[in-house]
Amino acid sequence: MNCDKCGEEAVMHAAYSGLHLCQEHLVRSVDKRVRRRIREDGLVPDDATPDDPTTWVIGLSGGKDSVVLTKILDDTFAKDPRIEMIALSIHEGIEGYRDESLDACEELTADLDIRHEVVTYEDEFDLQMDNVVEKDPENMAPCAYCGVFRRDVLSRYAEEYDADLMLTGHNLDDEAETALMNFLEGNVEQMAKHFDASLGPLDERTDQDHHVPRAKPLRDVPEKEVALYAHLEDLPAHITECPHAEEAFRGEIQELMLGLEDDHPGTRHSIMAGYEEMAALAAEAYGGDDEKFGECDSCGARTARDICRKCALVEAVDAV
Amino acid sequence: MRVTVDVIGDTTYEIEVDDEATYADLLEPTDYSQHQVSFMVDGRPVPEDQPVEVEEVRVVRLVQGG
Repeated sequence: MNCDKCGEEAVMHAAYSGLHLCQEHLVRSVDKRVRRRIREDGLVPDDATPDDPTTWVIGLSGGKDSVVLTKILDDTFAKDPRIEMIALSIHEGIEGYRDESLDACEELTADLDIRHEVVTYEDEFDLQMDNVVEKDPENMAPCAYCGVFRRDVLSRYAEEYDADLMLTGHNLDDEAETALMNFLEGNVEQMAKHFDASLGPLDERTDQDHHVPRAKPLRDVPEKEVALYAHLEDLPAHITECPHAEEAFRGEIQELMLGLEDDHPGTRHSIMAGYEEMAALAAEAYGGDDEKFGECDSCGARTARDICRKCALVEAVDAV
Repeated sequence: MRVTVDVIGDTTYEIEVDDEATYADLLEPTDYSQHQVSFMVDGRPVPEDQPVEVEEVRVVRLVQGG
């Protein structure tokens, strides 16, 4: 089969558009979609200048998505003096897994000559995920603990680096799954949070004075295309699955979504188009409610409780 | 024709397919969706809607996260 754009041998077929693309045109197509998303969401502020650059922190885990994102951002903005970029990696303390993925991060950031910072759960919380999973004080899925710790670390370090924006490598599949989960759980408030935290264009979000805004420039690109991009460009992406990964509901959502995508190509895109509008409406209805938040008694972070979720979990782990 | 399918890190099986079968059809005995894997022939990816032309195919699974 041949590329629809140039006649070279195709490496992929995008069922949702009908296009067959060769390596060069796949890479170009992904790059173009990322740049369009950055432009449409207004991620580069009009007032960014070489004298007063905007600072972006990129969440870099070493997996294919964050590696591809970091590469494209570097290709696009490395020579742009209005933007400073810092890649931030987290070592969760998962034996045999995170050490290897950090190697991928180091290799990539050295190749690209981009600033790289590494933070560990051990240093931050005096715990490692392997031990948390073993103790399991709250009887939760491993991802539930790790997600709380990760978000805390990313938020705090983004603020420490005086970041204006945090970018993560969520792809179309990730976002469509989250959209379906929120919808099927009937969680309208969570939709509003999703829009204001990371989904909506920056100028359409409800003001969030207390959090570094997040953005996901890869969110128009299907997961398989991200994987192909990493493979074809020989990026040092780490491809082993986290040994603690298990998310039953998300697994069912994924199966449902991909089944629909197989039978009705373009389903993921349709989900996201409709969801973004719904989330914007939800944000208008729910957004801006800052009054119920205070400071955590333990660490000072913003929280609706006396002690924030992260401190409560760390205490629970220590207690076992 | 008979095709040997090697799902890297998972399983290897043989499947009998007719002349019009595509690479996506090779997944029939598995639970994988075509959106979760890439088909590799002689080390390079091929479109999943392409007719199968070889007797050995490697299937690379996507890994979530990252």
